Order: sequence, then structure tokens, then C-alpha cells
Amino acid sequence: MPSNKVIAIRESLKSKLQPSEDLVFKEKFTKEKYLEVLYIKTISDEVVLHENVVKPFFETDSPEDFLNYLQSHAQIKAYENEQKAIDDVLRGEAVLFYQDHVFLFDCKVDRNNAVLDTTVETTIQGPQSGFSESLPVNLGLIRHRYPHTSLMVESTEVGRLSKTKVMILHDSKFADPVTVKRIKKFLGEVNIDMLETGEQLFDSLKKSNRALFPLMLVTERPDRVAVNLSNGKVIILVQGSPYAVILPTVMKDLMSSMEDIYQSYWIAKFLQLLRYTAFNVSMILPGLYVAISSYNPEVFRVQLALSIAGSRTGIPYPSFVEVLLMLFMMELLIEASIRLPKAIGPTATTVGGLILGQAAAEAGLASNIMTVIVSFVAISNFVIPINAFSFTIRVLKYFILLLSTLFGLVGVVLGFFMIIAYMVKLDSFGEAFLSALQSKPGKQ
Amino acid sequence: MRLTSKWKLSFNIFLTFMLLSGCGFKDIDKRFFVVSIGVDLAKNSSKKYLVSLKFAVPKTTRESPAEYQIVSEEANSISEAVRIIKTKVDKEIDFSHTKVILLGEELVKRRGNAGVNYWFVRRRDVQSIAWIAVGKPSALAVLKVKPTSEYFPSNALFLALGKDGSETPYVISEFMYDFKFRAIERGIDPVLPIIKAKKDFLEINTVGLFNKSKMLLELQPEETKMLNFFLNREEKSSLWGKKGQTNMIVNTEKVKSKYKIYTPKGKRPYIQFDVSVDGVLEETTKRIANKQLSKYEKVIGKQFSKEALRVLRKIQKAGLDPVGFGLRYRSRHFNDNDWKEWQRIYPTIDFKVHTKVQISDTGLIE
Repeated sequence: MPSNKVIAIRESLKSKLQPSEDLVFKEKFTKEKYLEVLYIKTISDEVVLHENVVKPFFETDSPEDFLNYLQSHAQIKAYENEQKAIDDVLRGEAVLFYQDHVFLFDCKVDRNNAVLDTTVETTIQGPQSGFSESLPVNLGLIRHRYPHTSLMVESTEVGRLSKTKVMILHDSKFADPVTVKRIKKFLGEVNIDMLETGEQLFDSLKKSNRALFPLMLVTERPDRVAVNLSNGKVIILVQGSPYAVILPTVMKDLMSSMEDIYQSYWIAKFLQLLRYTAFNVSMILPGLYVAISSYNPEVFRVQLALSIAGSRTGIPYPSFVEVLLMLFMMELLIEASIRLPKAIGPTATTVGGLILGQAAAEAGLASNIMTVIVSFVAISNFVIPINAFSFTIRVLKYFILLLSTLFGLVGVVLGFFMIIAYMVKLDSFGEAFLSALQSKPGKQ
Repeated sequence: MRLTSKWKLSFNIFLTFMLLSGCGFKDIDKRFFVVSIGVDLAKNSSKKYLVSLKFAVPKTTRESPAEYQIVSEEANSISEAVRIIKTKVDKEIDFSHTKVILLGEELVKRRGNAGVNYWFVRRRDVQSIAWIAVGKPSALAVLKVKPTSEYFPSNALFLALGKDGSETPYVISEFMYDFKFRAIERGIDPVLPIIKAKKDFLEINTVGLFNKSKMLLELQPEETKMLNFFLNREEKSSLWGKKGQTNMIVNTEKVKSKYKIYTPKGKRPYIQFDVSVDGVLEETTKRIANKQLSKYEKVIGKQFSKEALRVLRKIQKAGLDPVGFGLRYRSRHFNDNDWKEWQRIYPTIDFKVHTKVQISDTGLIE
């Protein structure tokens, strides 16, 4: 018979865990033994519980043997306090009451543990699978690619209500301890109710809680995580999200694709050049069009100036309205194609991109050249390998457009300098955003 | 309410920015691009000049032909003419693509029109890299020529004067900045190509040599080619030579000329020209073997030297200095009276030309 202390704990637990449909409390008897089990069946694996606890219970004869069994089992730990026990039960552990002892048995059911294919950061060559939505599986994927004793894994909880389990990984040989400390401190201070995925931390990074540039890299690729670990980065894994956060992040990381190391040297260099060109094109081009065509047409060659002037004849609005109109249309198209069901997606882009552009030009709302520029901007925006960063550029181009509308070519230059100045100011956990080299431990 | 006042301030700053943009914003289709300007002397009028602007009318489709509009106005100054022309066209006149400035033949032959040039230099939207040339019989006549190969107005002129189109030693094109430099600097005189208006095409194969105020001398096409070699502008050309009964023509690939001014004490000063020509034989009246080439090289070299000497003396006689001997002399002599000295030396200076011709090939496989 259980002692009074155990009964008190049992009753207290039962009252704290308000009666719900999936809360299970079972008693099991044999001649000599008496066992009580408390768990939530929707998040606990009953098969595991049966195999590891119930079956041995009936197969063992002496009460001492079973107690020894329980105490030596790897997944069973002793009860510490009530609050912790409640937390664990809510995560899928079972409470075992046996004789004078209370144990917690880890029989969490791990759903969503299928490894997903990469969909955002796709590469032509190299590994094609990403993370799963399960934390232990993700950790396993990383360990698989990074089998080193120096890999440190720590875990913490973030989110006032969600209490999401978060793991911090770094290689103690390469990572800067100061940075690691800063990141841990940051995670401890995050003021958020529900943490569902690492991307939510973007805004928390800045004091004002309003960030424009992503100062952390969110990736779905275990290979990228492994490579970054070896570069001394710190990885944050969030339970339930197939994305890992890589910290600290500089612009170079945001502009790099895993393809850079899977392709041969010159091809990788060419692709990088292409990416930085696309970055500038998609940021500056709309503003440049307004500035050149309305302020400084002497920059064009005379042929182009005349052909733009020709294609703009009969367009009722000034160039910046024309650009805004077309850009707005393009943004709607991009947003719509994300939301649209997969079956309709391609149709919508074709209809929107080709027909709408052509129709706008024919209706005299925009010039032919404008259609070319808008599609150029849209396409080059998608060359940026990290999605979060390409969104930033999508917003930045309006800033340049505004300045160029007001000040012409000077505005474009001014805007570009302002953006660079802002980027220079940014830092990610002590790492300057525009730095080209990763800092090594011991160097400050 | 602290936040509102902050927003109010930023909004006000933004509004001030709007004022700053002012008159700069003008859409490209509201601008009327002047592609070339012609300045002539006004005839039968009390006004001094006849200023003609050639506007490009933008094509709305790719298929429509190149159209232009020439608007002329008589006035006492170019600015005045442009102001009046503004009242005759519907869009804002834009000089940013004005690439050719034509001065009428009569205008450049008359003294005291230097003021015309300054308008182009001072005007901020006329670019200094515009070409400047002499129009014959008048600038307006040249503007009116419409070559059939042209696909936008004045393109034929742009191509002929620039290196984009035909490359020929008979055209010595001149940028406005260089013209201004030559018109001001002591020791170097302006050279302008002369563009002749024909019915359906333009002919550019002569140049006019200027002193500081007007055109004095017109060179013949062959002399123009020589001057071009002295200036080291265009290297692709052909040279003609005759040995006995054999006429031959060399297509040059490289022509380099160097000169040095010698002022030996007690002797007559002279300018030593060294010209080196590389080329291939293009046309002969008789078969020439590879072995014999050196003989023919000498003949052509001699002929070249003779012709060069003649042109140099002709220019010297007119008291002009398009090559810039005076400037070279001034840059090597640091006396206070170097310019006066040069003016004394130049009319009597002697020329010596040495030409080294290298024919690399007969053009045939032997």
C-alpha cells in the first residue's frame, strides 16, 4: 500500500491536472504489487508505456525486483517536485506511483518526425532533404552530419504560454564564448507569449521590436547548419519548426547559397556576382528609371531616350505613378501566388505576369519599357537565396523610389548611401552586419 | 502626445522636401530632344543669326519611320532664338542629347562670331562631348538632309563623326571641349570638319583650319588625310605609290607619327617628323613578290614624306598651327617670352619628314 506522502502527491497532481477527456489514471495489481499510472494519452505513447512498464510489472515476481527495474531504467527518473511533474505530464510523460516512490516515465509520442524536402532553399546539387518538425529528430540530423565531441547542446524554454523547448548548439572549439553568452542572454530575455518558430525572434533582436533587416539566418537545411557550426556559428533549434536559426548572421551569410560550396570555384564566384548584381538591380532599378527618365535623360543613349520617350507618349501619369502602379501589381501577384492553391498557382502567374503586363501597356497605363523593368525587378528579387532577405529588398526599393521621385539621380545615390550607412550600423550579436570575415574565439 | 509631435515634425520635413524637387521633375515624354543645332548668318534681315534646332520626334511604335522637326528662328543671339523657339513647340526643349553643333560656312568665315561658341559651353544641358562641325553650304542645309539609312534623326551625323560607324581618315571630328581648348590656347589652332550637304547623303572629307577667330584655310581630302596622320587620330587608310610603271595601294593598319622641335644654336630651327606605317598591299597593277617588297616600301615612304612636307608647308604658310607645334614648344621652353619667340620662329621653321613603311604582306599566298 502506498504511503501517505505518495497519496498526497497523487491527489495533489490529480487536482491540479483538471479532469479532461484524455487524462488517464490507472491502477494495476498483482498479488504482491500495486502500481498506479497517470498520463495524458494523446501525447504519451501507450505502446511504449505498456512495453516498458506494464509488461515487466506483470512478469516480475518480487516487488524488489520491479523496484530495481524501475530505478535502473534509462527513461525513468525520480520525482522532484510537483510543478516539474505537472510540466512533464503536460509534455507527455507518465507518472508512476509505486510503493513509496514516485517516478516519471518518458513516453512522449513524437509526431511530425518525418524529414521534409527542402522547398525554400533548393539547390540543384547537394543534399535535398531538410529538417523535420521534431526537435530530437532535428538534433539527430545535425549530429549525424557533425559527429564531434566539441558539439555542445543546451536547452531552454522560450515563450510565456507556449513554453517551447529550444536547443542551443555550438562547437566549443570554434564558437566565440562571448557571442554564445550573448545569445543565451538574449534567449532568456525574449518577451514573447507563443513561440512557434525561430523566425519570430527577428523582431525581438532589436530594442524597438521593429526590424527591417533579418539579423538571423533561418534555414531548413541540415547541411547549412553543419557547415555553419564548423564556422563557429551558434544554432538555435525550436521544437515544432522545421527551420533552424543560425546566429550571428552577417550579410555575407544572407547572400550565400549552399550551392556555393557544391559548385566549382569559378561557377560559384559567377553565381555570387550574379546575386549581388541582382540585389542592386532589384533595389535600385525602379528608382533609377524614375530618376533617369524624369530628371536626367542625358544618361541614356539617344536611341534609348527616344524609344522610352516614344513608349511613354500617351501615358497620362508621371513616371513614378506608373512605376508604383506596376510594382503594386507585381507585389499582388507575388503575394497571391504564395497563397493560391498549388494547382492554380502557375496559371495565376502566367495570367498576371504576361497578360496583365501586356494589357497595361496596351491600355496606356504603363510603357513597354516599364513592363520590362518590373519583371526584371521581380525576377532579380528571387535570385537572393535567403527568403527573409529578399523580402527586405522588396521593401527597400520603395524607399529608393521615394527619394528618386523627390531628388532624381541624387536621390538614388543618397538612398543607396543611407541604406549602406544603416547596414554599417547594424550588428548581430556583436558581429558587424557588413563584415566579410567570421570572428574567431579570442578575437574581439 | 509626444509621439504625435514627432510625427508632425517628420511630416513637415517631408513637405519641405516636396518643395525642393521644384522644377526638376519633367517626364521624358514631355521633353523635346534637340539632336543637332545649326547656326547660320541671317539673310535679308536685321538680325544677326539664323538658329535652327532639329528635334527628334519619338517613334510610338518600332515600325514608324524616324521623324524630325526643324524649327528656325532669326535672332541676335542664340539664347534669344531658343527663347522664341520655345514658344513654337509644345514640349520643353531639352539639349541633353544635342550631339552635333553645326556652324554655317559663311558664319565661320566672318570675323567676330566667337561669342556663338560660348553659348554652347555655358549652357549646362549641352554636353561638352558634342561634336562641332562646319556646314556647307549652310548649317540648315545639312540639318535638312535625310539619308535613307537613318533610323533616327541625325544618326548619320553621329555615326560619321563618331567612331561607332565608318572609320575613315578623311574625317577629323572635333569635340566641343577640344574646340574650346584650341580656340583659347596659344600655340594650337582649331580644326573643324566640313560637312557638305548633298541630296540624299552627307559628304565629310575636308577640314577647315581656323585661327583664333575665323576659318582661314580649307584643306583638300588628301591633305585632310595627312593632317589626320599628324594628329594620330585614325589609322585605317590607304596610301598610294608609283614605281616605274607599277602603281600600288597600301592598306595601312598602323600609322604613328612623332615629331620633335630642334632649335640648334646658330642654325635654322627645324621640326623632325618620324612617321611609321604598317600595312598590307591591297592593289597593284603588276605582280609584286614578297622579296621585292622592301624596294616598294622605300618608294611609298618617299612619296609619303613628300606629300607630308607639302601639307605642313601649306599650313605653315597660312600661319596656322592645328598640330600644336607652338604648344609643344611652349611646354619645353620656360622663358618668359617663349610665345613671342615661337611666333618669330614658326614662319621660317624648316620641316624634315622621315617615313618608315613596313609592308607585312602582299595579300597573296605564294
